[in-house]
Amino acid sequence: MLRCEAISKRYGRGRWILRDVDMRVSAGQVLAVVGGNGSGKSTLLRILVGLSRPTSGTVSGRPPHIGYVPDRFTAHERISAISYLTHMGRIRGMSASAARARGDHLLERLSLVGGRNAPLRTLSKGNTQKVALAQALLVQPDLLVLDEPWSGLDASAHGILAEFIGEVAARGGAVLFTDHREAITKKHADGAYAITDGQVTWRGGRRARDRASMVELVLTMPSSGIAPAEVDWYALPGVVDAARRGEALVLRVARGQSDAVLLTALRKQWSVESLAEATDEPVSSTGVPSTGVPSTDVSSTDARRNTR
Amino acid sequence: MIALIRYQFTVLLLSQRYLAPLLLFLGLVAVLTSSDTGPLPATYATVSGAMLLCATWLTMALAGLEDPAHRSIVVVSARSHLRVLLATVGTALMGCLLLTAGDLLLRLMFGPRTPHLPDLILEVEAQLTCAFTGVAIGLVCSRLVFRRQGNALALALLLLLAALVGKGISPVNIMFTRLLNTSSSTEVLASTSLQLAVAAVLLTAAMAIAQAIAVRKG
Repeated sequence: MLRCEAISKRYGRGRWILRDVDMRVSAGQVLAVVGGNGSGKSTLLRILVGLSRPTSGTVSGRPPHIGYVPDRFTAHERISAISYLTHMGRIRGMSASAARARGDHLLERLSLVGGRNAPLRTLSKGNTQKVALAQALLVQPDLLVLDEPWSGLDASAHGILAEFIGEVAARGGAVLFTDHREAITKKHADGAYAITDGQVTWRGGRRARDRASMVELVLTMPSSGIAPAEVDWYALPGVVDAARRGEALVLRVARGQSDAVLLTALRKQWSVESLAEATDEPVSSTGVPSTGVPSTDVSSTDARRNTR
Repeated sequence: MIALIRYQFTVLLLSQRYLAPLLLFLGLVAVLTSSDTGPLPATYATVSGAMLLCATWLTMALAGLEDPAHRSIVVVSARSHLRVLLATVGTALMGCLLLTAGDLLLRLMFGPRTPHLPDLILEVEAQLTCAFTGVAIGLVCSRLVFRRQGNALALALLLLLAALVGKGISPVNIMFTRLLNTSSSTEVLASTSLQLAVAAVLLTAAMAIAQAIAVRKG
């Protein structure tokens, strides 16, 4: 989805803050950007969301709906939290009533203390951070960029933030956040980019692919020759694509629902030819050769390719 | 765009930073015109001078109102720097138009003379010329361009002075000279329109400068 190529940034004639940064963020991924204070994490995020222009290099594939939470959201405004969210929703093209309802819902979930009608500047740091978080989620974002989102939030809000991140990823949105605590990035991210001296390196992650990634399921006729029953694949939860490839049927299923879909397919007499982790690119014919036997043993998960 | 202007206008109203320029404008208008019996174009020139000052002040206040973090959220929400900048200019100009409307209304009700249609058109033209120039100066000297507000203020005063006394260069100065040397509004309508157009070009240039610097500083 989002792709940066050879990005470099410096302000004026100052030192290079970022040098030759290559990054790729795919739909459904949750990625962390780690690095010390002043290492250029925030600058990188500002470039990614389009606030700042890189000195050289290009960013492509920026999705239309981006949610951005800056690192500091110090509010001096007299505007109230809910009114602020309503205005932000309107700027994003929502109707005033829809924006207000959505804002109310988000503040409710984040359990804002201090009252949604209180002026922003009377709220505590943690509560303004909640308002900042809520404005980024008014419209379901395709890309959610969070700059140190955990700082200032209380323990219960930590859980809600993790929920929000999970929801965005599950809907096929990408999430990118920074934090300097290893424990947090390990817990929430599928992978991390580390910044040192302006260079960004991929650090891998706990899971090679995230929970919301896609699984490519290739089904064929069983060798017994009995035609399997027709199934309305799109009616099954998690199925995003069903296409014929010759004799075979290729399904793209969200990882979370793949087991249920597989079970349905087997019950309807389909034979599983291969099961592989889907790449972002359109389906390619890299499946395991057909066994031709109605397979009830789904050991073909071995065919999973590690794309990194 | 309407949502953006609404938001910025709300923030401006709630911040009460509009009060100082508003009071300055009303005060100047009251002092300069209450006992004025000279030709109308000369009166319009003085009121427009007040507008120049207030437009600059209002724009600097408006652009400096939002915290950089808030502004970046607005930019991401609106999906463009330019749209937010246009909204800032739009909001400032709307404030100026409200001042003009208030001034017109007050003087129609309490003024010593009854102006005719050409007079009214001339007044709006003259005030808009000054509003455009003032917003342009305010934008170039705003927090979007300058981090150090001390330097920005010094530059703003310098530019205001240049706009007022820059003979043959500044649209404001040219307009003032013509307005002060005539007694009929219809005579100077065309030349004032020309200066209004020049002021609009100035404003566009100021927006281009502010946009270029804001994106690079980003």
